[in-house]
Amino acid sequence: MADTNSIASRESAQDIVLSAEHVSKSFGGIAALTDVSFELHRGEVHALMGENGAGKSTLMKILSGVYTGYDGTVRVDGRPTGFAGVRDAEDAGIAIIHQELNLVPELSVADNIFLGREKLIAGLIVDRKASSRSAAALLERLGIALDPDARVGTLRVGEQQLVEIAKALSLSARILIMDEPTSALSPAECQRLFRIIRQLADSGVAIVYISHRIDEVMHLADRVTVFRDGRHVLTDTMARLDENAIIAAMVGRNLLSSSQEERAPGGKTVLSVADLSLSKPDRQGWRAVLGGVSFDLAAGEILGIGGLLGSGRTEIVETIFGSSTGRAGGAIRLDGQLVDIRSPRDARRLGIALVTEDRKTQGLHLKASITDNVALPLVGALSRFGIRSTAGEQALARQAVKALGIRCEDIEQAAGTLSGGNQQKVVIGKWLATRPRVLLLDEPTRGIDVGAKREIYDLVFRLAGEGLAIVVISSELPELLHLSDRILVMAEGRQTGILSRAEASEEAIMRLAAPRRSARSAA
Amino acid sequence: MSALKLLSRTKLYWGLIAIFLIGVLGSPISSKGNNIFLSYGNLLDVLRQVSTTGLIATGMTAVIITGGIDLSVGSLMAICSVVCAMLLTVPGVTSAAVLGIPAVAVTALFIGIVATRFVFLNLAKSGAGGATGRETGLDAARGVMAPLVAGAVLCGLTLWFLVPQVEPKFGVLGVLLVAPCVGLLFGALNGFIIVAGRLQPFIVTLAMMVTALGIARLTAGQNNAVLPVYTGSNATEDFELLRSMVFGVIPMPGLFFLGAMLLYGAVLRFTPFGRYVYAIGGNEEAARLSGIAAGRVKIATYAVSGLLAGIAAVLYVAQYRQGKPDAGAGLELDAIAAVVIGGTSLMGGRGSLTGTFCGVLIFGLLSNILQLHNINSNLQLVLKGMIIIGTVLVQERNVADLLAYLRLPAGQTTHKETAAAQRPSQETPSLNLGGNKK
Repeated sequence: MADTNSIASRESAQDIVLSAEHVSKSFGGIAALTDVSFELHRGEVHALMGENGAGKSTLMKILSGVYTGYDGTVRVDGRPTGFAGVRDAEDAGIAIIHQELNLVPELSVADNIFLGREKLIAGLIVDRKASSRSAAALLERLGIALDPDARVGTLRVGEQQLVEIAKALSLSARILIMDEPTSALSPAECQRLFRIIRQLADSGVAIVYISHRIDEVMHLADRVTVFRDGRHVLTDTMARLDENAIIAAMVGRNLLSSSQEERAPGGKTVLSVADLSLSKPDRQGWRAVLGGVSFDLAAGEILGIGGLLGSGRTEIVETIFGSSTGRAGGAIRLDGQLVDIRSPRDARRLGIALVTEDRKTQGLHLKASITDNVALPLVGALSRFGIRSTAGEQALARQAVKALGIRCEDIEQAAGTLSGGNQQKVVIGKWLATRPRVLLLDEPTRGIDVGAKREIYDLVFRLAGEGLAIVVISSELPELLHLSDRILVMAEGRQTGILSRAEASEEAIMRLAAPRRSARSAA
Repeated sequence: MSALKLLSRTKLYWGLIAIFLIGVLGSPISSKGNNIFLSYGNLLDVLRQVSTTGLIATGMTAVIITGGIDLSVGSLMAICSVVCAMLLTVPGVTSAAVLGIPAVAVTALFIGIVATRFVFLNLAKSGAGGATGRETGLDAARGVMAPLVAGAVLCGLTLWFLVPQVEPKFGVLGVLLVAPCVGLLFGALNGFIIVAGRLQPFIVTLAMMVTALGIARLTAGQNNAVLPVYTGSNATEDFELLRSMVFGVIPMPGLFFLGAMLLYGAVLRFTPFGRYVYAIGGNEEAARLSGIAAGRVKIATYAVSGLLAGIAAVLYVAQYRQGKPDAGAGLELDAIAAVVIGGTSLMGGRGSLTGTFCGVLIFGLLSNILQLHNINSNLQLVLKGMIIIGTVLVQERNVADLLAYLRLPAGQTTHKETAAAQRPSQETPSLNLGGNKK
């Protein structure tokens, strides 16, 4: 018990509402968190920072009862807890607002706020009036101007975020965890959110604010904790830190100094897209989700696509690849030839490959082996008179493992047992096996650790060097700036500009990516 | 641990062996002192009895691996049995001939086209160098003209073979051609509606189950009409072949069942089609995004399911000497049960025909044992239901999981205590202490 002495002394400080002590967690042999400690005071905004894969989200999922198997201790008000699930954490006053919102779009704001705890008449019938009234009162207290009877699906992402906050507070949460809340918000919406966060903190709510936007954190937080590669690096008050200190703590090694040599992507144009558009069916008919997208892409060139979440980035590559649902318009030319791509099958035959955003649901069959995954698009091509070539398939897999440095025990290992970075390499390997001319990468480094990220960057440069035309979508501006020769920026489904390497900067991208008032009223 | 793993991996065979042993040990003994269960005749009866369900379960397995389900097979078998019996016994242009002959013509045309394209594509592939995603297209002559000609020729040949049989009565080869084609077309229609209309397989095949039953009754002419088939008197002599023993060793229906099992098993294992079936069941979105024609593959699995129901129908007519609209009633559920007992997941992506084979045999042996003991038929149903649940329970979680699950409440409390108590010691953090998720 010697080790707990120091903890006991710190516990005497009355205002620690939540703490994690020596917490470790790993997934299938990959450590996500190693011996991490964290404290949260009453009434503070505590920013938690780190690159993707630093372990921020893992810790928050432990604190909010999503993950229940871990090493170490979590204390609420100084008492050790063992949450058996999210419900226990909620009962302890902890609420988490995930990056992906958990709302039912078909229900009203009030219904969403009280989902699972409906106000009832005689214990049986939902009392819509009462719930609408309480929701209105709650929203007013927060200074949020929203109609409690509006259907959540009709609200903008930023407004939906506010509904999530209202919902969390209706649970009388004393501890609020927010995971990247501003990633889809306009500057004005951000300002409103900050005001509400400040107000909540002043009223005594303890807030964990996860972000990798340094300017936001500087502006908002009282204290900052930085994680890197699953370890705790730094905790200090904002007053004693500056931007450079935080960046140094976050990055540690210089991630982006890898092989961006002087590349000269002066090849001939491979892919040419003119006035690409996409409409999706809606209750009121067809709704345009994409319009006015035009660009040329040369062999060996890397085109970045930037923009906020939901700005139409993914729809561009899906439309080119023939996998979007809805009505597509515009012209796509490959080597100057007009092509008609109606399905991923057409795209594959033309030499276009798409590495999708979500490898688990769209990229891999997790229970199948590496071989089965890598060979899938080519099983038919490798077969002779209807008989599969197991040897050929395994050769492809071995080739991919070698070329991409996939770390695995065996090519017959199930893809789901690999780490995120290696799973991503399997998806990329699958498409490189088809020897594409155009490679579309949608968030290629999402949710993978820093080391694997750098390997993916090196790979992208190498492939461009070999003459592949590459499109990269990324939400991380430094990544986008690092990889791209040019950056196409989207806002609300429309192309707002293409920046050359010289013009591109985080500010320039954000300026183009911000939603416009006029576009909004039209929508 | 590895012994337990091996046991859990081979549990299906153990189950089969166990039920066999129960059969042997519990078997009534004949007056001559022989074990009735073990007698050759009895075991052949089992094989004969499971053949119909087995054929249907074979087609059902692939459908279920893609994540679908086919509830219509019983009714499709009913249509096909009616068509088969009518063609055999009623001369002239009957509703069965009107339904059956065009079905064969369409199927022949389609198969001619697809097979020719398949051959040319593979010849082109052998010519081209390494494999890439870019498949070599065919020119108009080999890609369009030759397949059309081949299809037309095949279509003509089948018509030339079948049409003269209309006026007298159909022979065994005739019905063996017509009934499966009728099943195949209805099955393909199932698949087409599911894929093109993006509807749930459950609801589409449920609708087909009802529709097909109606069509079977309409074809038969009156409700619950039974069309008796007496080979040698009202039907051709050679139809008897389908219920005879082959080389005096194995009954013909059993041969069809085993043949279908082996053939489809090889297709699922060794062909790209088989790989796609598993890929679609595992992650349809990923499969589609890999450029696989997921729709066509799914349609094909339903078509084969219908085809096998058609073959099962012909064997049924031979076996019971009749065709009738309620021939396959409830058969789809027996088949699904056999598939699931065989370890194929209703969620798709996982399963095998080996498993289904064991499932079918377990089911068949069980019925046989219960019958040998003269157990009340209603009680038989209760026992069967309970055994399905029991087997699937063992099948879906593996044995270790099941034990862990039963121990869970105790396991979790100790986990929390040890986690807290172990903290101060310098032990290396272990992976995951409890049976928690991930």
